[in-house]
Amino acid sequence: MVDTLFSQLTTLGSSIALLFGIVLLCRYSFHAYVEAFRWQSLVLAVLLVVVGYFGAASELYLVAAVFFALKVVFIPHYLERLAKRVGAPREIQPYVNVTTSLVVAAVLVLLAYGIMRPVVQAGQLPTRGGLPLAAGLIFVGLFVIISRKKALTQIVGFLVLENGIALLAALGAFGIPLIVELGVFLDVLMGFLVMQVFVYQIHGTFESIDVEQLNQLRH
Amino acid sequence: MDFLALLFPPLLGALLAFVVRPYRAAVGWTNACLSMVSLGAAFLLAASISAGRHAPTFGPGELLRADGLSALLVVCVAAVAALALFYSPGLGGESPYDTTQLRRYQIFVNLFIFSMLLAVTANNVGVMWIAVEATTIFSAMVIPLALTKASVEASWKYILICSVGITLAFVGTVLAYFDFVALAGRRENALNWPVLLSAAPGLHPEVMRLAFVFLVVGFGTKAGIAPMHTWLPDAHSEAPSPLSAMMSGVLLAVALYAITRWKVVVDATLGPDFSNELLLLLGLFSLLVAVFSLVLQRNYKRMLAYSSIEHSGLICIGLGLGPLGVFAAFLHLVCHTAAKSMLFLLAGEVLHRYRSTELERVSGLIKVMPLTGALFMGGILAIVGLPPFGLFISEFALIRAGFAAGRPGLMAAVLVLLAVGFVALVGHSNKMLYGAAPEGITLGDVPGNWRKAPFLVSVLVLATLGLVLPAPLEVLLDQIVIVVTQ
Repeated sequence: MVDTLFSQLTTLGSSIALLFGIVLLCRYSFHAYVEAFRWQSLVLAVLLVVVGYFGAASELYLVAAVFFALKVVFIPHYLERLAKRVGAPREIQPYVNVTTSLVVAAVLVLLAYGIMRPVVQAGQLPTRGGLPLAAGLIFVGLFVIISRKKALTQIVGFLVLENGIALLAALGAFGIPLIVELGVFLDVLMGFLVMQVFVYQIHGTFESIDVEQLNQLRH
Repeated sequence: MDFLALLFPPLLGALLAFVVRPYRAAVGWTNACLSMVSLGAAFLLAASISAGRHAPTFGPGELLRADGLSALLVVCVAAVAALALFYSPGLGGESPYDTTQLRRYQIFVNLFIFSMLLAVTANNVGVMWIAVEATTIFSAMVIPLALTKASVEASWKYILICSVGITLAFVGTVLAYFDFVALAGRRENALNWPVLLSAAPGLHPEVMRLAFVFLVVGFGTKAGIAPMHTWLPDAHSEAPSPLSAMMSGVLLAVALYAITRWKVVVDATLGPDFSNELLLLLGLFSLLVAVFSLVLQRNYKRMLAYSSIEHSGLICIGLGLGPLGVFAAFLHLVCHTAAKSMLFLLAGEVLHRYRSTELERVSGLIKVMPLTGALFMGGILAIVGLPPFGLFISEFALIRAGFAAGRPGLMAAVLVLLAVGFVALVGHSNKMLYGAAPEGITLGDVPGNWRKAPFLVSVLVLATLGLVLPAPLEVLLDQIVIVVTQ
């Protein structure tokens, strides 16, 4: 692996993005969750521009712009508004406490390195150093989803997961064909809006957004 | 041109429902008729492909393409869609929903149908993924139509688990694309199936193995494969019955279609062994989980949902057993679609009359609603695999394929599990059908027996498939086997 400026920048950017993802595990207030997600998306938008510049993939500029508009501006704004309407949750006691969460996150990143080894070895791109970090971000996002008790924080976990996948696509293949990328953004946006609708419905029907209350349906 | 006639009607239906405020029954009837147009186009497409026309394509960059596999699924989707739209709430007669809910139902159900049709005709792997994710989103909007705690819970689990699953499938897609780009450079049509398939032998085995695991876990979540199935019983039982019929009948089939398409690519890189083993393992596990849950069931809609998981598992097992198994699996898919869609729609009628989904509250169905009860019994007999219905033939073919592939132990396990499932399902439905009718319940079928006529078509299809395999279907199935096992 040649340590060019390009590969150093991508590894740095991916590491920062992963760090923001792990920060989610130590925070309690919903506002902090949204802020971490917002900063992570900003870092990723910049990284997309960097990859587009060095990798001579000019569609990535458009993708970065849409990414910025969607995940740094639009979605965090809607999340804050939603939180105001249903009462911003404090994830006081997630299923797994902070210390254990951090240990689990470390194990997940190691796992990601292990799993992505064949991919890293098989590739020739200068960005392949960041691939395990992207996989790590995906796993951390998954972990956030399953260990949170509030519906809103689960949504943030899902958005972090999507960020991880966008990073993977950007690093692994300098993006994917434009039509697919735009379609994916549309899906993410629609999915987010639908989840928003659901949080209102959960709040309306259950008087809270504590997913522990969603336990009527068994067997 | 057939593609437009196929895909346009549901879009038009959604637009119509969106524009007409407040909802009127005429909208429902128009949409039902539009679905017949789709169905006609689907049949024409399938007939032409079965008669030997080579995979037609449509759109810029060959966006849509229909070969034998797509054609079979398109017919299944369009048929169940037409059935479900004819049985939608709000088509005259009383309905438990108000006009806002009915309008939302019509908009999103039509969009749901459109995205399913797009998923099976898309030539581009990415577009297929987008369409499958869209099905999750659109169906999730309709599940909590009646805002109860149970339905909201079910739809939250549904959208969260399926979105996570679908996202993992996207990881698999990206990994495969990444490998393709590393091999062949960035190309415009890089994500088209034929292009991927031709490049497949040169891809890296380790990367494709990893990609396939992500893809099977991801699309398997939508197909109801254990251990990612936990959303299914809740979502299928809480949704309005026509939506359950579509979800159990064809959405699972669409997800299995996606897995099959990717299996073809991965097999070209790795050889069939890896994907076969993985599918056999997951299929057997699904069968196990479903069958034992069937025994414990107390709710008849959940019972039907677990039966769907059971059959999804069987289809996966079939996919892992080589050419004979693939033939059996897709025949099974067609028969299961016909039977399960009918069962869920009938369950909707039962629910409407008995006002409860608990098994113990339902009894004497044969006395209370004779025609519905008889059809329900027929459906259950079909779904447990009794002759003369088609599922008997497909399960028999599956077992035979298993023995031919040299897996007698696995087939013995499958037979034992099927037997347990048989006893559970027949036991539960006997309690529903016979016995004394509960007090104070209205006797007699819903007036207008002609409304049950489409079910007779389902029963006829199932019985025909159990006795003789129509030539066009056989041709399609043979084409599918060739596509999948080349």
